[in-house]
Amino acid sequence: MATRDSLPGPDPSVRDRLRFARQSVGELVPTPGEGIVGYVFLLPAFVLFGVFLAFPIVYTFYLSFFRFNGVGNDTLLWIDTGFLTYRLTSIADLEFVGLANYAAMFSDSLFHQALFNTTFILVVQVPIMVALALLFAVALDASFVRLRGLFRTVLALPVSANLVAYSTVFLLMMQDAGLVNYLLTSVGLPAIPWLTSSFWSRMTIVGAVTWRWTGYNMIILLAGLQNIPQQLYEAAEIDGATRIQKFRYVTVPQLRPVLLFVFVTSTIGTFKLFSEPVIINGGGAPLDSTITIVQYIYQAAFIDFRLGYASALTYVLIAIVSVLSAIQLNVGGESDA
Amino acid sequence: MSRITLDTVRKEFGSGGDKILAVEDVDLEIRDGEFLVLVGPSGCGKTTTLRCVAGLEDVTSGRITFGDRDVTGLRARERDVAMVFQNYALYPHMDVRRNLGFGLKLSTKLPAAEIDQQVEDVAEMLGIEELLGQKPKELSGGQQQRVALGRAIIRDPEAFLMDEPLSNLDAKLRSQMRTELQTLQHELDVTTVYVTHDQTEAMAMGDRIAVMNGGTLQQVGTAEEVYRDPVNEFVADFIGSPSINVFDATVDGARLDGPGEFSYHLSETDPVEGLRTVRVGIRPEDIQLVDNGIKLGVNVLEPMGNENFLYATLGEQEVTARIDPTNRPHPGESVSFAFDEAALYLFDPETGASLKTKRDGEVPTTPDSIPNREGVESTTGTGPDTGSNDDRMEETVE
Repeated sequence: MATRDSLPGPDPSVRDRLRFARQSVGELVPTPGEGIVGYVFLLPAFVLFGVFLAFPIVYTFYLSFFRFNGVGNDTLLWIDTGFLTYRLTSIADLEFVGLANYAAMFSDSLFHQALFNTTFILVVQVPIMVALALLFAVALDASFVRLRGLFRTVLALPVSANLVAYSTVFLLMMQDAGLVNYLLTSVGLPAIPWLTSSFWSRMTIVGAVTWRWTGYNMIILLAGLQNIPQQLYEAAEIDGATRIQKFRYVTVPQLRPVLLFVFVTSTIGTFKLFSEPVIINGGGAPLDSTITIVQYIYQAAFIDFRLGYASALTYVLIAIVSVLSAIQLNVGGESDA
Repeated sequence: MSRITLDTVRKEFGSGGDKILAVEDVDLEIRDGEFLVLVGPSGCGKTTTLRCVAGLEDVTSGRITFGDRDVTGLRARERDVAMVFQNYALYPHMDVRRNLGFGLKLSTKLPAAEIDQQVEDVAEMLGIEELLGQKPKELSGGQQQRVALGRAIIRDPEAFLMDEPLSNLDAKLRSQMRTELQTLQHELDVTTVYVTHDQTEAMAMGDRIAVMNGGTLQQVGTAEEVYRDPVNEFVADFIGSPSINVFDATVDGARLDGPGEFSYHLSETDPVEGLRTVRVGIRPEDIQLVDNGIKLGVNVLEPMGNENFLYATLGEQEVTARIDPTNRPHPGESVSFAFDEAALYLFDPETGASLKTKRDGEVPTTPDSIPNREGVESTTGTGPDTGSNDDRMEETVE
């Protein structure tokens, strides 16, 4: 402070004094990295992460080797201070079953059906959606398109739509006598049993998910497209590339990391599909042909209270998604773009 | 390989009220096999002109022809030109081999083996054979530069178009590549248009230099011509380093009165006939320090080793002089200078047009050294007062 006070010139203004005060407070705060200060700042995040993420992850794995018999009542820890008594009870009443939960999956036909449904939706939906998103992104990126901001907003809007609301709208539109069939029949096409045929009911889900997420992925792809240096296209033009060749030799390789991201996140997202089939098709109707893995896990855990089996299913889902992502990363990421 | 002609090429960006005129009615003929440098300050339209020649920009009006072929309406890929970009624009996801071969793959029907052979040949020519398997990001700036050059060479195009290709290199590498590029262009004998903002580069490399300013072509000529015989004050100022000293002087018969003590009696008064003021230009190397002459106040002395740069003031006017390295006046000292009238430049104060240019130590122009000298009339561009310029041209030829 002494040096500051001894500086020549006009007296410091009120704002200057405030700044000096702020600076001297700043000097009192120890530099993070010295001692435990840094960890103190990190503590809230660690605690939240530990309680709400790390513990459930570990505990789910633990649960998957047990049968759940009810809420726990066993005393784990007892502290009697004279005035007050602390008693920590176990979370659940569990019975160790080893790998029985995992083994049960092999003969669980409903699980097989859920796995098939989810895979079917994934295989149909993700490529359609990514292709559509890419098409929209390229179209919006083209220099001649006007009202770009408007189109971008309109296309990306569905992602902010309320899940229940939009699913209900889909449910209404896809009724046997709904809007879609009305339009189809009015142009002379046959009505389609959108909600009652097992194939078409899955296609309804595909349509709903695609409608909701295409705009979101388009935004990501558009950002990727706009990051491609214009000069690469000019160099390709000079080298004699046509529009399609530029797309093939410049856009796609340059967009590869972004495309990979879109594929991986969409795959994971579709594997976790839950709300749309629940709302549109109720409990997986018709005949369990739309029940998804997460929906089945939900049923096992919170309707049948088979927490151990549901935990095992959860880990199988994680394993499947991890393997798929690893494959995608390996196939798509081999060349550094 | 062919002659490139620009016929009143005009390029406007935008439309309606906020229209920007980037290139204004440029007439330019680039001879077959010539190395022409387009030079000018930032925003002068040189890059836009090059991009119009490449076909990356459409011209607003005017015509561009390669030889007898009108390419004005053709897309870049139909023009058969090769371009080297300032930041190279190599395809980041392709290795050097594919970067080099890409143009041939797309624009020719050559079999893969033949393309590969040509890639190897070009790589050998540029000394980058061992880099063929690497990606651009693994290469140094100089190596990327060579790959970019190779990508242009392999196409064997009608013309090379280069947009400040050396400006991302460090000074040493830049001068090395400068020589290499010239040698290469000589060997390949491909018509080349080279854009730079660096007048030293322009002077060193170009068979001819085209100086642009504010979208208009000022002058086209050899390095010697634009330096000694600029059409106007802009060209005189832009060409030459350090820049020419230019200041206002009042004309009183044969006497010129300038800033400070500057006063000079012209022996030849024709150029200033009828003028009340004139712009006087003296190149830094034409200032000779003498015992008795016009007084200068020394500000800074920069020793360059082989010479010294003297920064001084003449009245309120900053003056730069290149002096002998043994001559070391100190800041604050006063020195005197003189100059030859033959070395003096005079410019019209209104239009900036040259009234008199450098006449000392005339180097005879050797017509053989410049390709197709018959196009002498095109050496004067759209600059004002071309009439008097032609008169002087005749004097020169004598």
